[in-house]
Amino acid sequence: MNLNAVIVGHVDHGKSTLIGRLLYDSEVLPEDRLAEIQKLLEEYKKRFEFAYFLDSFEEELQEERTIDTTRVLFKGKGENYYTIVDVPGHKEFIKNMLTGACYAQVAILVVSAPDGVQEQTRRHAFLAHMLGIDDVIVVVNKMDLVDYQQSTFDKVKTETAELLSSLGYNNPIFISVSAMEGDNVYRPSGKMPWYQGATLIEVLDSLKPKEAEEKPLRFVVQDVYTVGAEKITVGRVESGRLKKGDELVFQPSNLKGKVEKIKLFPEEIAEAVSGDSIGILVDCEPRRGDVAGLLSSQPKTVTSFLGEVALLEGTLGKGDEIEMKCGTKRAWCQVDEIREQINSETGAVIGKDIDRIGENEAAVIVFKTEPMVIENFSEMPELGRFILSRKKKNIGAGVVLGAE
Amino acid sequence: MLDLKDLENRSIYIVREAYAEFKRPAVLWSMGKDSTTMLWLCRKAFFGQIPFPVIHIDTSYKFKQMYQYRDHLAREWGFELVIAKNETAIEEGCSPEEGKFECCTRLKTEALKNCLEERGFDALILAIRRDEHGIRAKERYFSPRDEQFKWDYKDQPLEMWDHFQGLLGKGTHMRIHPILHWRELDVWEYVKQEGMPVNPMYFARNGQRYRSLGCEPCTLPIASNAATIDEIVEELRTTRVAERAGRAQDKEKTFTMQKLRALGYM
Repeated sequence: MNLNAVIVGHVDHGKSTLIGRLLYDSEVLPEDRLAEIQKLLEEYKKRFEFAYFLDSFEEELQEERTIDTTRVLFKGKGENYYTIVDVPGHKEFIKNMLTGACYAQVAILVVSAPDGVQEQTRRHAFLAHMLGIDDVIVVVNKMDLVDYQQSTFDKVKTETAELLSSLGYNNPIFISVSAMEGDNVYRPSGKMPWYQGATLIEVLDSLKPKEAEEKPLRFVVQDVYTVGAEKITVGRVESGRLKKGDELVFQPSNLKGKVEKIKLFPEEIAEAVSGDSIGILVDCEPRRGDVAGLLSSQPKTVTSFLGEVALLEGTLGKGDEIEMKCGTKRAWCQVDEIREQINSETGAVIGKDIDRIGENEAAVIVFKTEPMVIENFSEMPELGRFILSRKKKNIGAGVVLGAE
Repeated sequence: MLDLKDLENRSIYIVREAYAEFKRPAVLWSMGKDSTTMLWLCRKAFFGQIPFPVIHIDTSYKFKQMYQYRDHLAREWGFELVIAKNETAIEEGCSPEEGKFECCTRLKTEALKNCLEERGFDALILAIRRDEHGIRAKERYFSPRDEQFKWDYKDQPLEMWDHFQGLLGKGTHMRIHPILHWRELDVWEYVKQEGMPVNPMYFARNGQRYRSLGCEPCTLPIASNAATIDEIVEELRTTRVAERAGRAQDKEKTFTMQKLRALGYM
C-alpha cells in the first residue's frame, strides 16, 4: 500500500526533525547527503539538525524554519510505502501547508512536550479535519527536554485528546517521542519504561488500506481531441466504472451518448476504473467541465450550494463574485450568504450571518453559481472540493456541505 | 513499489490539463530517461501525436550519442523538434571552465529564454522529479516564472486536489512538472514495462555507466556493471549513491541548484 502522510503541528515542535530522523535511521538517505550537510553547517556556522535533510532552501537553513512543503518517499519495515509530506508551521505559510496536506490520508500531529498545544497545533488540526483526513496520529515530541517524564506526556495527551475530540477525532494514537534523540521514531526507546506503546514506524506499518466502496460513475471531461477521423473525449474516471456500451449523461451540458470505444493509447479497453485517465468515443459532443454519469445515477447540476471555505488571501464579502473550480469546471459564483464565520485556529463559530470574512478565516457560505456539477464532500470527495481564485490566483479552498 | 498505472494516470491528467489551460505549450527534451518518458507520456495522452513542439536546449557540449539518439527518435515519433541554442555565447567560447554556474545560465537558461521569446510559448512541460534534488522536491506541478524568468520560491501558489495555478500575467510562463511524483526507480520500471527506447549510455560498458545525463564536460559515469534494464532496477533498489552524484553543476558551491533554478534553470 502507498500511503500519504502529512506531518502537521506548531512551528518548532519538530516536524522536519521527525522526518529527518525517520529517514536517517532507516538508512535510505544517499551516503553523500550527510557529508553535504556537514559542509553546509561549517559554512553557515550551524549546529546539526535532522531537519536539514528536508529543508533545502538556503533561507530555511539560515532562518532555521521550514518555508515550503517537501515530500519524501519512504518504505516502511513491512510492505507499506509512504509519501511523507513536511509542511511549514508558521501561520504565514498556511497555503503551503494546505498544498502539502490535501492528498494526505493520515496526519501525524507533532506536539512539543514542554510547550503543549499551541496556535498552529489547533489550526492544523482544524484544517486536517476540514480536508477530510480521517486518521490522526499524535507524536508527543521533545520528551528528552522533560526528562522523559510520564506526567508531562499524560498532560499533553489529555490536552491534545480534548482538542481532537472537539473536531470529531475520537481515538487517536499517542506516541512518546524524542525525534532529536531517536526515541520511538524508528527504534524503540529504552528511556521510557512506563511507555508501552509502539514506535512511529510500527504505527505507520500497521495501517491497512481502507476498503474502497463502490460508488456511482463520475467521469470528468478535460477536453475533446480530433485525432484522424475520430473525436476523442478525454478525462478521468473519478469514481465507479466506465464500460464500453454504457449510456452516459453529461452535465451541465445535458447531453446523452453511448460509449463506443474506450481508448488508452495504443490500445482499446473494455472497462476503466476510478483514477484512469482515458479517452472515449461517444455519439455526442461534451465540453471541458462536463461530468458524465450513468442514466441510473446521473450527476446533478446545481446553481447554488453550501460550502465550507478557508480563505488565504484578501477578504470575501456578501455579493462578491469569485471564480471557482471543481473537477475541470471553472465557474463564476457569487457569495449569497455567509452563514457562519469560523475561527480557523479553534474551529469555533465566531459570527453568524455576517457580511465579510478576512484572511486566514474560515466560513460556511451559500454560493450562487453558474450551472455546474458538484457532489457532497462526505459522499464523493473528488467532486466535493473546490478552489477559489481571483485574477487566476488561487486564494482559497473549500468543501461542499450540500446543495441549497 | 508504487503503482505505475497510478503514476501514469496522474501524469497524463496533468499534461492534458496543461494543454487545455495554455495557448502555446511546449515540452523540453534532454534525451535523458526522464524527459524521454515525458515524451512517451505525451504520446499516450494525445493518442500517438504530440500536438506541440519538443524543445532541445543544445549547449553544443552534449555527447555525440545523444545527438544521434535525438535525431533518430524525432524521425521515428514524428514530432516538431525545436533546437534552442545560445549561438552568441557559443561563439564567444562559453565553457564550464570559466564557471559552471555561468555556463549553465548562459547555455541553458538564456538559450531557453530566447527560444520562449521568439516562439511565444506560455507553458513548458518539464520532466523534473522530487526525488532528484532537495530543491526540486519543493516544486509545484504548475510553477509560475515571471517576466524575468525568475522562480519566486518563497511565495509559491496554493495547489490543491489537481487544481493548478493559472498564468499570472503577460510575459510570464508556467513550468509544468507532470512526473514530479515519480522516483528514479519508477522511471526505470516504467521504461521496462513499456519497452521504451532509451539512450544506450545508461547501460554499463567496461564497468561504468551514466546514471544521469548532461553535458559531456560536466557529467561523470558511475562505477557499475548494470548492462540491462533489469540490472539497473536491481542496482537502484540497493544503492545509496545519489542519482545526480555525477553532475558537476549541482556541486560547484552550496545552494548552486537553488540559485540556478531561481534564475529560471530547469
